[in-house]
Amino acid sequence: MMMPRWAKSRWVVAPLVIAGATLAWNGYVALNDGGVVEGQVVDANGRPVPDATVILLERHFVMHNERQRTRTDGAGQFRFAGNDNHSLQLEAESASLGRSERRVMRLWFRAQNVRLSEPLRFTGKLP
Amino acid sequence: MLLPFYWVLKTAVTNENIYAYPPRLLPESPHLFNFVDVWYFIPFPRYLFNSLIVSVLVVASNVIFNAMAAYALTKSFPGKHAMLLVFLSCMLIPFQATIIPAYLITSKLGLLNSYLGLAFPLLSTIVCIFVFKAAFEAVPQSLVDAARIDGLNEWRIILRVLMPLSKAAIATNVVLAFIWSWNAFLWPLIITREPTMQTLPLGLARFLSYMEDTTGALYAFAAMVLAPSIFVFLMAQKEFIRGLTSGATKG
Repeated sequence: MMMPRWAKSRWVVAPLVIAGATLAWNGYVALNDGGVVEGQVVDANGRPVPDATVILLERHFVMHNERQRTRTDGAGQFRFAGNDNHSLQLEAESASLGRSERRVMRLWFRAQNVRLSEPLRFTGKLP
Repeated sequence: MLLPFYWVLKTAVTNENIYAYPPRLLPESPHLFNFVDVWYFIPFPRYLFNSLIVSVLVVASNVIFNAMAAYALTKSFPGKHAMLLVFLSCMLIPFQATIIPAYLITSKLGLLNSYLGLAFPLLSTIVCIFVFKAAFEAVPQSLVDAARIDGLNEWRIILRVLMPLSKAAIATNVVLAFIWSWNAFLWPLIITREPTMQTLPLGLARFLSYMEDTTGALYAFAAMVLAPSIFVFLMAQKEFIRGLTSGATKG
């Protein structure tokens, strides 16, 4: 079947491609915007740290303000739910190990479900 | 010519200081998160929507009203030369000089803080009237006469005969009207009362006032504001150039 000439016009094709890409992106966002932030906390030797406090900070213009706190489980895993920001920082602290480095996390959209690719690591130096 | 655009894009995908010396030609650790910041830190989608509505209004009205005015100017009538002189003279007056009366008229019409009010001063532009006039004058009079003999009235002659033969002029109108309305800053600044009615150029100013360390995000914003007008220009560039140069030479 021959396509009508107007359907091949760049004024039709280009907006349709843009609309399709926008729809696809919004579909992807809708499937992945649960606001879950997960990861693991380890010590300087790479061993999981249980019962460490993990702090979630979110960016507000030029400042990062604390938003949530949680504690790691026996395997050093932590999980935040209900994040609705796109620019975060994560930090872990423990009475025996001090503070971890602060990890900057930039998300592609608000409330993106994300899992840390590298665990939060304590350097081993006490504050 | 493309270097400034490249520099805007390069800075938008990094957080490099634009005053760094020696300047780097290639971006270092490029990323797209500055665009995400722009999208979320200000109501960018709302500004984009407002700018699109105003631009569509301006483009549509320019094509319609300018074509009608240009067709009238291709006819002979008493005072035509005086009217052309008035039109040309009006082109010499900068918009900033007439902004107060324009504001008062818009206010009397009750169009402050509305999309129509935002589009109001650009609903018809003299330059684009002359673009249409040149295109219509290039159409052989015999075609218009034949259409009239076939029973077409003046409206249909414009719509069915002149407009299809003036695609370059239409494209020029579309591109110019779009760029002017898209980039308008002063008029939206004085006519809008609520942040929700602001357009993208005003959003850029607002964004600047909010953020401090924003070199990358600022350039990302500029790139996002520029992208639609570059898109429209690229789509219509062939007709746009033809429309601007039609009537430039005789014979």
